[in-house]
Amino acid sequence: MEQANTLQNLTVSRAMRRQVICLEKNKSINHGISIIIKHKTNALLVVDSHRQPAGVVSKTDIMGAYYAGLPIDSPLEYIMVSPPLFCKSKDSLETALEQMRTNKVYRLYVTDPDAEDLVGALAYPDIVGLLYQYCHQCPYSHLNRKKHANETDPLLRFKVRELMTRGVKSIPLHETLTSVMEALSEYRFGAILVADEDGLPTGVISKTDLALTYKHGVSPSVTAQEVMCTPVHTCDAESLLEEAIKKMIMADIHRLFVYEDQEDTIAGVLSLSDAARGRSGSCHGCISSRIKVEDHE
Amino acid sequence: MTTDFPTVQPDTPIADAIRIFRESAHQSGRRLFGLIVTDENHHLAGMLSMYDILLYVRPKHIQVWGTMEDINVAGLIDAAGRRLKSILVGDIMTPDVVTIGPNVDLFMILDIMIKKHIRRLPVIEEQRIIGIVYISDLFNHLLEQIDN
Repeated sequence: MEQANTLQNLTVSRAMRRQVICLEKNKSINHGISIIIKHKTNALLVVDSHRQPAGVVSKTDIMGAYYAGLPIDSPLEYIMVSPPLFCKSKDSLETALEQMRTNKVYRLYVTDPDAEDLVGALAYPDIVGLLYQYCHQCPYSHLNRKKHANETDPLLRFKVRELMTRGVKSIPLHETLTSVMEALSEYRFGAILVADEDGLPTGVISKTDLALTYKHGVSPSVTAQEVMCTPVHTCDAESLLEEAIKKMIMADIHRLFVYEDQEDTIAGVLSLSDAARGRSGSCHGCISSRIKVEDHE
Repeated sequence: MTTDFPTVQPDTPIADAIRIFRESAHQSGRRLFGLIVTDENHHLAGMLSMYDILLYVRPKHIQVWGTMEDINVAGLIDAAGRRLKSILVGDIMTPDVVTIGPNVDLFMILDIMIKKHIRRLPVIEEQRIIGIVYISDLFNHLLEQIDN
């Protein structure tokens, strides 16, 4: 069957979120963390006194402030990255994804076609969400096919193995948060695995966890063990991409650590961004399912 | 203005704040929808509303699977419970709170509540919070006067 690009003909407006989380640039980092935590977003748009976009503060920038020992009451403008990057609501998702890759960002702000008003924000997880929605409605979907389990499945389906990033780094339990932050920054990860003396995965520390410890006034010299989250969310490398995405979307998590053979042998990681970069739905038969979906609309 | 209201601190675990909300629901009298947050000097630090907690409990991708049937609701509730465990009041409270002084006119309060969509206004005197005006009290008081 011909391999197709599921994102073809889709515009940014289809996947974007209309609620743009923003805060004035003179507000504190502390306030910014509250907003990011409460709205479960990875970044917020920083605006000036006229509510015009001035920059972006992401969890990475907050981690940088924590690492540098910046007082948490410092204004957001100290750490924002400017200018924010924009796309238009009528742009194709393809173009927007390309823009995100070229600029190495995970989020674009969306303006109306005249580039005057801000109308939304587009982030990787939202694109994956849209794809998952299509897959879920598709009659060829693995989830729908379960009803016909005795029939052979004619479609080649993506497995986690094909899209995961290999070579997972981990950090020992007794390492400090400073080392955790250095590792996250060096590898450009959103989270890192914490392993015990035998190298077995025991917990995860994400940038979200670090934003919270910064907010709670925890010193960066405490150990990884004290702040890590347990358990580690995992999946099998052989499982279907569709199932893995479902697990992430349902559990509000951004990544799954992937094991091969045995549950404690972590071989890779699959993030929602990886799934979005795959630029396809979860089976190789997407062109058919896309047409089906459009028929229903 | 009501002078009898519970307060919490920014480092109070969310679980404790939820308990206060729930206890108020079982008691006679006023039901709470928002809690005043004060710092160690008893100064106003923010407000924690039920909405803040619900916003945090709402799954991020609800728009994706809101219409799907094969959802493991029990699993979602467990996940929300786990998320709430490590959160403190200060993490999700609203720090920017509109306040009034003790001598503000009733109609001015009405105007603030309508324009800013606020249902409760802390009353501040010399940096200390001395009471709260609830929209229900304002309603009853004003309409009683109009009736007379």
